[in-house]
Amino acid sequence: MSMLRTIKPKNARVKRALDEREPKAVENEKTAIFVRGQNTSEKVRSAMKDLYALKRPHAVNFSRKNPIHPFEDASSLEFFASKNDASLFLTGLHSKKRPDNLVFTRMFDGRVLDMMELGIDQIKEMSEFESVKASVGVRPLMVFHSDLFDTHPTYQQLKSHLLDMYNGHPLAEIPLTTIEHVISITAGPASDVVPLPKVHLRVYTIKLLASGSRIPRVQLTEMGPSIDFSVRRIQEADSEMMKAALKRPKLAKTDVEKGLGKKRKNIETDEMGDRVGRLHVGKQDLNKMQGRKMKGLKVRKDKAASGGGADAEAGAGADEDMEGDE
Amino acid sequence: MDVSKELQEYAENHTTATIERAVPVEVDAGLLAAFDTTPVEAEAYSTSLEPHLLALTLTSTHSLLSSLFSLPTHSTPSGPTALLPTPTTLLPREKPLPKPKPLTKWERFAKEKGISHKKREKHEWDEERGEWVARWGRDGKNREKEDQWIHEVKAGEDADQDPAMTARKARKDRIAKNERQHARNLADAASAAAASGPFKVDGAGPSKSASKSTSTSASGGGSSISQAAKVSLRAVRKAELERSMLVSKTSTASLGKFDKAIEGEPRAKGVKRKFEANEDVQGEKDRQLQLLKGVERGRGRRPRGGREARARREG
Repeated sequence: MSMLRTIKPKNARVKRALDEREPKAVENEKTAIFVRGQNTSEKVRSAMKDLYALKRPHAVNFSRKNPIHPFEDASSLEFFASKNDASLFLTGLHSKKRPDNLVFTRMFDGRVLDMMELGIDQIKEMSEFESVKASVGVRPLMVFHSDLFDTHPTYQQLKSHLLDMYNGHPLAEIPLTTIEHVISITAGPASDVVPLPKVHLRVYTIKLLASGSRIPRVQLTEMGPSIDFSVRRIQEADSEMMKAALKRPKLAKTDVEKGLGKKRKNIETDEMGDRVGRLHVGKQDLNKMQGRKMKGLKVRKDKAASGGGADAEAGAGADEDMEGDE
Repeated sequence: MDVSKELQEYAENHTTATIERAVPVEVDAGLLAAFDTTPVEAEAYSTSLEPHLLALTLTSTHSLLSSLFSLPTHSTPSGPTALLPTPTTLLPREKPLPKPKPLTKWERFAKEKGISHKKREKHEWDEERGEWVARWGRDGKNREKEDQWIHEVKAGEDADQDPAMTARKARKDRIAKNERQHARNLADAASAAAASGPFKVDGAGPSKSASKSTSTSASGGGSSISQAAKVSLRAVRKAELERSMLVSKTSTASLGKFDKAIEGEPRAKGVKRKFEANEDVQGEKDRQLQLLKGVERGRGRRPRGGREARARREG
């Protein structure tokens, strides 16, 4: 924050934009920033491209590389977060020591909450799968397999990160016909030889088939990307900070039912499915309507205010003319 | 042309078979997520990874979808819409909970006295003109006195004073006063925010928390004070640094007399020693008596070692 000036709003538009960034009881969807480090590999670039495609439209892709090492110094991430009002980061890096590296970073109140480093072992891009892709902005389903996501702290954090990235913003309702794809995350079986097993990310499109009952049968087709991760470094969240981040607001039930504290007045959806707004415009006064502007018909402000003079009479004459036209 | 392999692959990719689960798949419908907590079978995992992953996904997706489809729905233009419950999995927020707006001095006073807020409308009725006029702003009624061409001069008032100018000055003073009060309210709110950050800096002085914030922002780790608090603490920290610089400058044997001065450096002003006047006999007597009284009552210096040492000596 220190690098940014504190902006004092000079007009209503700027004020609205700044108010939008203030803490809210019911939050907006988190924006993710996808940023490349100084060196990246082909694998990292394609993984970031596909993960970005899944996160769109709540994602910003930085096209240039930045000298970032989140585990060493996250100050530039904090700067990006405050500048873009974003709180999720995916940094792609590649080095001899840690090849094909992805770093997931989460922010709280403009500061780093926790970080997670994953190495890409194998990747098959989305474009390599010849299948229909899910539409942009459609909410995915997410499924996690393995007991590790329930028991192992590292995998719990990984689950939290991925859920937060793609499904973190709770919806009030979902049209059942818009369910298009599922993100499946599976951790391999843990053993003494492999204490931190690989994590497999797969994305499938869903086809719902009639089953004769209310609940349909499911058919899955892989859509990509298909990525195998290995878990590397993690930075756990500060317990105080996490506690503050997990606080829930107390909302009245009626507020929750009425669209979570957001005023929705005069907006309806008509039979055609179009959103219709109702505006209230005051009754039009034709006497006040501006007619043709001429020097002779000019109403001078000071004389009009005092309520007399020849100009006011001229104005009245103009009004009569207009009524005659109708 | 043999397409059996392709057909088999296609069938594998489009299968709808699910695996039996002893432990049912946990579903968090609010987040559209499902968690299968059964350990992954090592054999199936190592021999046929992709089909196994697909089967696992099918199983969990099926149970997630069945719980989604059994939720209460209502029909919308875009088809039946399921009303989602509140999520059970806790995920961190992006920003802290909004704090209630700090009360202004007047609001605090009104609350104490039980005065309820009465909103004044912007327009008021003007009897003379017979129309609604603005209280302030353009053509505001608060400028009425300044614009009128004749003024009543009351008995005892200065004959050569300008009533319009007096009214204008009074209005401008009111505006200035209001701005002063507004600035003070803002300053009070900022200092209150600095004193109690989001995760209270317990009892730590401003210097301690400020150094904490600077060190953590450099390392990028989790500091425990908010952004707003940092800004106001920086001013305190700056004043403290200036003071310590001044002290260190005069801490040489020659009180910094022979040190090289940096160009444009402000002259360090020390504390001037103050001597009591020699003639003031009564004052001197009072001070000495005060000192003696203190000795009499035993209010001297505490013995070295503090409370614990004393307790040890006594007990």
